[in-house]
Amino acid sequence: MNETCRVSVERRGDVAVFWTDGYINNQGGEEIAREAYSELDRGARALIMNLEKTRIVNSIGISILIEVLEKVMERKAVLAFCGLTPTIDKTFRIMGLAQYAAIYPTEQEAMRAVGAPA
Amino acid sequence: MLRGETEMPVAVRIAGAARLLAGARRAAVFLREADAWVPAFDSASEGPLWEAPDRLPERAGLHEGRLWVPLEAEGEVHGFLALEGLEADDPTEIAASLGLIFGSVLGVSRLSRLVKDAEFELKARLLELESLYDLGLSLAGQLDVSSLADEVLYRSISLTDARKGTLVLFGERGAPPLSRSVGGEILPPGAAGAWELPAGNVVINNEASRVPTAGVSFTDCEKCLLVSIAVPERRLGVLAVADKESRDGRVLDFTTGDARLLSLFANQVAAAVETTRLHREAIEKERIERELELAAAIQRQLLPRELPHLPGLDLAGATRPTRQVGGDYFDFFPLSRGRLGFVVADVSGKGIPAALLVSTVHAAIHLQIDASDTIVELVSRIDRHLQRFSATHKFLTLFFGLVDPETSVLRYVSAGHNPALLARASGEVERLHATGVPVGLLPHGSWKEETAPFESGDLLCVYSDGFTEATNAEEEEFGLDRLRQALVDRVALPPRDLSDDLFREVLLFAQGVPQYDDQTLVIVRRNGQHGVPAR
Repeated sequence: MNETCRVSVERRGDVAVFWTDGYINNQGGEEIAREAYSELDRGARALIMNLEKTRIVNSIGISILIEVLEKVMERKAVLAFCGLTPTIDKTFRIMGLAQYAAIYPTEQEAMRAVGAPA
Repeated sequence: MLRGETEMPVAVRIAGAARLLAGARRAAVFLREADAWVPAFDSASEGPLWEAPDRLPERAGLHEGRLWVPLEAEGEVHGFLALEGLEADDPTEIAASLGLIFGSVLGVSRLSRLVKDAEFELKARLLELESLYDLGLSLAGQLDVSSLADEVLYRSISLTDARKGTLVLFGERGAPPLSRSVGGEILPPGAAGAWELPAGNVVINNEASRVPTAGVSFTDCEKCLLVSIAVPERRLGVLAVADKESRDGRVLDFTTGDARLLSLFANQVAAAVETTRLHREAIEKERIERELELAAAIQRQLLPRELPHLPGLDLAGATRPTRQVGGDYFDFFPLSRGRLGFVVADVSGKGIPAALLVSTVHAAIHLQIDASDTIVELVSRIDRHLQRFSATHKFLTLFFGLVDPETSVLRYVSAGHNPALLARASGEVERLHATGVPVGLLPHGSWKEETAPFESGDLLCVYSDGFTEATNAEEEEFGLDRLRQALVDRVALPPRDLSDDLFREVLLFAQGVPQYDDQTLVIVRRNGQHGVPAR
């Protein structure tokens, strides 16, 4: 697994899709937050985060994702996660992320749910 | 787990609101963070940043041209508001109001953060418990140690907020170690094997960059935590994490709580490794037992399915193996002119090797019996066969007898076998001693054929040493004398009943003590009728 988390983003209309690869810790979380705030500033109304290449998320990473979620809610946008391992899925549900962010098994389902253009 | 959120965003908003309310030119809120007062300026403020004075005022007041207002709630100062360029005539009146309003705001914000932190901490503890529970379930459901090792390593790194981690499981019986790392290898597998962790099997080294960890120097980490993966009396591997990170990028000390959590994970791995090993051993044992049962079934096929019926002779033959397969063998061979050949053999060793040798002896006798003119020739042929085809250091004792009812003579060769007992109709019992060495023992063994009268009413009892060497709880052997006496006491019985009685006698003597050698018995009695040619 990668020591540093790589984040790539693609814009599809007003939906931004994020792909992470590696450990979401402080460095990975900051990278995600930076990209997320940038997309929100550019008018994104939905952020979809595909974590299928991430196996570990620590508490710092979770707290940063919570901050991102708070910012998303402030902007009246939506945040959705997909491609989670069972462990990360459970972690997000226990830590409260799933309370305000939707979790979908696949990216296609997440895209469909937020009404992203094909 | 740390959430790491601060009141800075709230402080910026307070500074902005206070500047507008007080009609000030610039405003800032100072918050205490890590032993320093850190300012949060109103976003509309311009100009150089201020620094907090060495000593902040206990009460609101002017200092170097700025109004300083303690932001207090519930008797605790949470920060200071500093305003510059006030237009008001009486700043102290404003200060009292601002202190009351924004002190409460900051206090509520701090309380809210503490509640959120406590909630986050609580959820993090719940996550730890759930992780242990999930691993326990994984342990019950799978025997793939490799997958479990990955899962344990991921969870260990995640729940201790470490930047990197390594898990090493030592290979069994010379197998290479299983090693997994995330974020870089903390310790190479070879070093892990030679590593002696101190008592308690846990090492917290928060100065790992300059102080060796249990004698090993790490260059790529600042702080580390290691636990041994072990079962009683045996180390199975090492689980290590390094560099616990904080929200602000610092590397934090590992705590005893982290060590406790990691030890629990290490215990899960140890349990998984042990379960897998026991499962593998159980499968191996089952496989061996299946093979033994198969071998026993094959060996049962080698024993006579039914005894020959020959005029003038009453016969019995039985064996009781002490394992699924044994090293004893008996057989009967009806021959020409009403003669009967019979054999009792006891091969060296136990289990599968002994059974294979029995199989070889069985084949050799059946192949050679018609080609041999005398018993000595037959035994010599068997010996040569074994010397040629069987494994080294294998031998057997053997009694081969040939009864000729027409001549009332018993011919026999005893190759190192226990003395057979010949009970005369008169009540006397003779011992027929060995007439040569065991078969297969020496390169050029020799045997002599002996004869004995075998008249009507005489009875021959040939047995293996498992019969006379059966032991009881006092480690006393059944012995030849007891066998002889038992034979004398029951000599009038039909051979089959006599055989059953003798086996029962030995069983009673042993009093349930497990026996380690096969027991075999062959009984031949002359009943007075003349035989007819059979082969």
